Amino acid sequence: MQARAPEMELIREAQAGSRAAFDALVRQYEHQVLRLALHLTGSEHDAEDIYQEAFLKAYRYIGNFRFECSFYTWIYRIVTNLCLDQMRRRKTRREDHAVVMDRSGDEIDLLANVSDDRSFSNPARELDRKVLGERIQAALTKLTPRERMVFELKHYQGLRLRTIGEMLNTTEETAKNTLFRATKKLRLQLAGLR
Amino acid sequence: MNCELAQERIVTAAYGELPDEQAHELERHLAGCANCQAEREQLRALKLLADAYPVAEPDANLVARSRLRLEEALDALPPMRWYERLSQHMMNNFASLQAAPVAALLLLVAGAGVGSLSGFELAQNRAAHAAAAQAAKVQAQPAAAPAEGATIANISSIVRQPNSQMVEVRYNQVVPQRIAGSLNDPAIRQLLMLASENSASAGVRDDSVGLLAAECRAGHGCQATGIRDALMVALRYDRNAGVRQKALEGLEPYVAQDVRVRDAVLEALLNDADPRIRTAAINILEPVEADTSVRQVLHTVAYSDRNPNIRTVSRQVLSRVPEIQ
Repeated sequence: MQARAPEMELIREAQAGSRAAFDALVRQYEHQVLRLALHLTGSEHDAEDIYQEAFLKAYRYIGNFRFECSFYTWIYRIVTNLCLDQMRRRKTRREDHAVVMDRSGDEIDLLANVSDDRSFSNPARELDRKVLGERIQAALTKLTPRERMVFELKHYQGLRLRTIGEMLNTTEETAKNTLFRATKKLRLQLAGLR
Repeated sequence: MNCELAQERIVTAAYGELPDEQAHELERHLAGCANCQAEREQLRALKLLADAYPVAEPDANLVARSRLRLEEALDALPPMRWYERLSQHMMNNFASLQAAPVAALLLLVAGAGVGSLSGFELAQNRAAHAAAAQAAKVQAQPAAAPAEGATIANISSIVRQPNSQMVEVRYNQVVPQRIAGSLNDPAIRQLLMLASENSASAGVRDDSVGLLAAECRAGHGCQATGIRDALMVALRYDRNAGVRQKALEGLEPYVAQDVRVRDAVLEALLNDADPRIRTAAINILEPVEADTSVRQVLHTVAYSDRNPNIRTVSRQVLSRVPEIQ
């Protein structure tokens, strides 16, 4: 609680209009925001855009923050929503893409389970880390945006499922189920590598 | 435990989120199930493979570029609209406004608050300050109840928190406020200017424009931006002729020195629906009769105005003033 008190003050000052206080908040969270956006999008340019939009949104709506969750969760909610939007935009540009909604409103990617890279046949090359990294990235893009996001937040960012649920405005249970689907799909995608 | 459930729990366990007693059950299942053991191995392999795409630390240049771009964008944001600043000012200084000195001319402005949105933000901020004090102790915060005497304008959203009885309702309120002060008080002036454009009641607009115009005629702080602008807007756009008339009278002293005022009056002469206003406009233009643009407008009016009196008066003015060499 002691550590949170100064942040609370900063937030209140920012709400009252202090630009300096808002700047201090930005400095506290900017590395995390960039790290997440960078890993999700794979592009410095996209990460920069998401940083910009996220903090401008935070600036605009900080008056609405009512301390009902932590500021960390609040900022992450903004960032994850922006990232999800961007991932969805990218997806709809692919013409050969069939997307269907399941009962919970999540997308089921009908083509994701077809691994189109079985011809990638040289095992020795597969072990090359860089190539491997690219294969992982490719497999990740075959997940639906929500699956990708949950896997990112759980596996790469190490957040608890309950926090992930809060950030994505859903339940811990749903986040857990999304994680199962994501790991299943990834395993199918990467099966050819073993 | 069946294998489907076990496989889900394997994932949960691999990410450190399986409760201890379920972990124990899972171990027992795995001890007797080769399939599920293989699944667990596969998941471990996946986790290792996934780390071949590690999370990179953003490099210093990226951070610096991003921050610079953000600062520039924040610097470029337009300053808060004056009535937003006012509502914040009032929120912060409610006590001092109540104690404002009473001068010779008192004005009571009663009616709807400074826009329903500001009312909502005021209510929100109050709720924020109240809730913040208890934020540490209680997880689910009851939002502040609607302020007394305030009417609810609309409900903008209803969100039910998953798995709970808690519901969050967002609504906008109109909170009647009142303020008393002298005409010299900038807060009062700002409210009068807002009233001149924003009030639904012609009577209120009439009062406010009348007061602002009186200030201008008396030469009290009728700067180019602010009150003069508000009068020009009222002259151009107000639906009520009485209000436009008062605005015109307020602008009279400035028609010679301020070209924008002159042009606004010329517009009124050409376009105003009410002949009394067009007539008043001609009279007010007397100090600038010799101006070329004024003469051009008078020529047009002299031939095309619907009202014969106005046509006559325009011709008289034109003949009175010789052409400029």
